[in-house]
Amino acid sequence: MKILIIEDELELAKSIATYLSEQHYLCEFAPTLQDALDKIQLYQYDCILLDIGLPDGNGLKLLEELKIQRKQDGVIIISAKNALDDKIQGLQLGADDYLTKPFHLSELTARIYSLIRRKQFNSSNIVVQNEIQIDLLAKTVIVNDLPVVLTKKEFDLLMFFIGNKNKVISKSTLAEHLSGDIADMLDNHDFVYAHVKNLKKKLQDAGSNPYIKTVYGTGYKWEN
Amino acid sequence: MKPLLSKITTPFLLYVLIVLGVSVPVYYFVIDGIWKSELDEHNEIIVKKTTYELNRLQLSEDSLQASIALWNSIQPETNIHKVKPGDLLQDSVYTIEKPQRFVEPKTIDRFRCLSSVIQINGAPYRFTVQTNIEESVETIAAIAATTLFFFAILVIGLLILSRKISFRLWKPFRDTVEKLKAFNLNSQQQINFQQTDTIEFHELNQSLSKLLEKNVAVYRSQKEFTENASHELQTPLAILKNKLDILLQDPDLSDEQYQLIEDMHKALSRSTRINRNLLLLAKIDNSQFDHSERINMDALVSQCIEVMQEHFEQKQLLLQQEIQPAVLLTGNSSLTEILINNLLLNAIRYSNVGDTIAVHLNQTSLAVHNSGSTSLDKVLLFKRFSKLSKNSQGSGLGLAIITEIARYQGWTVDYQFENNQHIFSVHF
Repeated sequence: MKILIIEDELELAKSIATYLSEQHYLCEFAPTLQDALDKIQLYQYDCILLDIGLPDGNGLKLLEELKIQRKQDGVIIISAKNALDDKIQGLQLGADDYLTKPFHLSELTARIYSLIRRKQFNSSNIVVQNEIQIDLLAKTVIVNDLPVVLTKKEFDLLMFFIGNKNKVISKSTLAEHLSGDIADMLDNHDFVYAHVKNLKKKLQDAGSNPYIKTVYGTGYKWEN
Repeated sequence: MKPLLSKITTPFLLYVLIVLGVSVPVYYFVIDGIWKSELDEHNEIIVKKTTYELNRLQLSEDSLQASIALWNSIQPETNIHKVKPGDLLQDSVYTIEKPQRFVEPKTIDRFRCLSSVIQINGAPYRFTVQTNIEESVETIAAIAATTLFFFAILVIGLLILSRKISFRLWKPFRDTVEKLKAFNLNSQQQINFQQTDTIEFHELNQSLSKLLEKNVAVYRSQKEFTENASHELQTPLAILKNKLDILLQDPDLSDEQYQLIEDMHKALSRSTRINRNLLLLAKIDNSQFDHSERINMDALVSQCIEVMQEHFEQKQLLLQQEIQPAVLLTGNSSLTEILINNLLLNAIRYSNVGDTIAVHLNQTSLAVHNSGSTSLDKVLLFKRFSKLSKNSQGSGLGLAIITEIARYQGWTVDYQFENNQHIFSVHF
């Protein structure tokens, strides 16, 4: 899987690449808009991470270029701006997702994972994880041919774990993922514990292996 | 407070009144003096003329006496009589007042008199002439009436003139004041003052323009600074967060180190939150949101409660909802959602396990009640970064944001403490 990281902040780009390469993604860098435009002409990427505020221009230009060239690369905008306008404009121009800085790398990885699955397996949107089958479109889960009924939050959690296999994920990260902006306004993140417990129980009741492990007391990890 | 015009006119008119008032006796004495000296001259001429004529006639003693008697009887205002031996032979001038004899009703007349000793046919006679002179009361009355008349004309003229002139003269000033009243620093628009040929107003307008220009520039740069600073902070925060994410994956991590990272994450999340909230406040200040959207408030409140449901359950909070249907408002839906979320989270955060939270929505207000023991300081409450509780993870901006969003959409926020309940309400 090839990923193009269009980001002028070197440290940020490096961190993303480090995290992603452990998930067996191949990362390339483009610190300027010109570099990025050159690269998308030459290569095909599974996912492009696009920072809008680039030193030599607005990243949204790249989206227009992709559209002109009729390229199907998935694009996730990473922006320091939380501006609603940018978000809507970006998504209208063909971006698939929008992430506001600062974000957790696990959040980014989960989004990249979903995006690539959505883009590449358009007709059969099914992720198979050993005995677990996940239908991304219908949002249903089947374990050993038995349907498991998950709540929306539990399904979200499952996808987050699958996208971050073998990674340590802290409780606060999951809290942010599940409740978005309001997470850091909550005094405790115990609700995460309840959701994870339910997900674990439902999967194991259906006969799945105990993939979700608790690490360091309060962290989680999908071990596979 | 009185308008400038009346402040100037009143002392001015008072001054005129005093001057004119003083002028009445002055006029009287002057006119009376002129009268008297004229009449004295007149009396003297009569005396001289009469003496001359009587002497010219060269009458015999008898016919002289008869003539004098006749004179005295037909000229009651004059009197000629022989000087008795021993009388002083001095002339005198004086004024007398006596009632009139032949006109009804009886009025007092004033007379200027001259009593002079004349020589007729070598014998001394005392000749007394009395000439009617205007009475002092009449003189004073006439002068006073005239003065009053002119005073009235002066007052009326002054009032009309000053009103007319000031209306025209102060027009640019009033224009300036109106423009200043309508000025809003937030809108960042410069004022163009009316051109004027009055030096004072021109100077005033110029100084105001300069002052406003500077203020607008300072305000803009301050707002831009907040927004830029918040933006610039996002990237280093992102780097920190991501580095911690990577550190978290270190296989040799101890439980203690993991906890340290988690604590750092929490602090980082908080700074991110503060930063985001500052950015949000700056954007509201900069009017970067459209506040003309139609908002279905009841649906929005229900939706926010729904999202928050698990957090109510987490703290075993009992939720009482009284939501009136079809509450339609105008504003920005994203901001309104933030406002509702902040209100709800605030209530959740400061409630104890098992408490009750009540949400009331009707056509005019949204109120969130949660239990508490003491009233909070209303003034500090809505101020930025004034945290009233010690052990809070909040950004200290939640209520400030509520206030700003409400203000931006033309709503008001209120806090009350009743029956051991904190009541935060937003009035549309």
